[in-house]
Amino acid sequence: MKYLIVIILLFIIFSLGSAMFYLVKGQGKSQNTVRFLTVRVALSVVLFLFIILAAKMGWIEPNQPVFMKP
Amino acid sequence: MSEASKDQYYVPHLAQWPIVGSIGLTVTFLGAIQALNSETSITPWMMFVGIGILLWMMFGWFGDVIKESEEKLYNTQVDTSFRMGMIWFIFSEVMFFAAFFGALFYARTFSVPWLGGEGTGLATNEVLYPGYEGVWPTNGPGELNGRFEIIDPYHLPLVNTMLLLASSVTITIAHHALRANQRSQTIFWLIATVVLGAVFIFFQAEEYVLAYQEFNLKLNSGIYGSTFFMLTGFHGFHVTLGAIMIAIITVRVIKGHFKPESHFGFEAVAWYWHFVDVVWLGLFIFVYIL
Repeated sequence: MKYLIVIILLFIIFSLGSAMFYLVKGQGKSQNTVRFLTVRVALSVVLFLFIILAAKMGWIEPNQPVFMKP
Repeated sequence: MSEASKDQYYVPHLAQWPIVGSIGLTVTFLGAIQALNSETSITPWMMFVGIGILLWMMFGWFGDVIKESEEKLYNTQVDTSFRMGMIWFIFSEVMFFAAFFGALFYARTFSVPWLGGEGTGLATNEVLYPGYEGVWPTNGPGELNGRFEIIDPYHLPLVNTMLLLASSVTITIAHHALRANQRSQTIFWLIATVVLGAVFIFFQAEEYVLAYQEFNLKLNSGIYGSTFFMLTGFHGFHVTLGAIMIAIITVRVIKGHFKPESHFGFEAVAWYWHFVDVVWLGLFIFVYIL
């Protein structure tokens, strides 16, 4: 499950990078920047919901140490 | 200068802001170093003076660029320069965060397990740090700054992730609205983005107070404390800067700047906000959860 989270994060970074590519390359007329940014937001929301689900189902454990009380 | 200068590459006559920015940064970091390394009460003021100089630079520099842009002094070559500037700025940002994430990954994956006796670190562990298990989160075999607790990812950090994600949704709606020339919609969603960003910063400050006062988790709590506060702290600075920039963009939209087919300033700031949000997702996943 950890790997799935990282893979989705990589897709998010890829769409963010693509948006940057069109931001720098285009002259502001192309729709591609806003399109890729929308994809990136949608993927992030999916990832966020997936993390909550994974935590609820016990697929991932937060790195909470029990031995370290102050 | 008039519109007749379209073929000329606009060069400002007096560019004082770069040196003001350099002085501001130097004063800020000298102040920060002093504040971190001494107990005297005067030193944090130096940092605040530096931040003040930086804010002055931002408003002055942004103001000059906006004025020049609205006076139509920029031709397409200058536009290309802005895009190039953006990519180099983002390259430096990516490298900056890569260094801190790199430090976190290296410590977690390599150096801490070595100290705990993994791999070739067996002798190191037995001779130098007997009994040290090398389990993350750790403040190292020296237990620097004593025992600490870590932040529960499913309380404040989860709320903050939701806030920042929501702010990315609102800025995306604003982006679509600007392209569709719906000004009032754009303004509304931009203001929503700034408010969400500000609430995020407020909660981040709350989290730091909690960490320092309740959990004994401090910047000097060994490798965990250092990486935690450097990553989240510098991210917090970026959110602050992003929120300031979006606030300025909002004022510009209210004043009638930007067109559906020409709005690089808006798009660059929007992209920067998305970048800051993705960095936070990385933080939420690697610092708080996994």
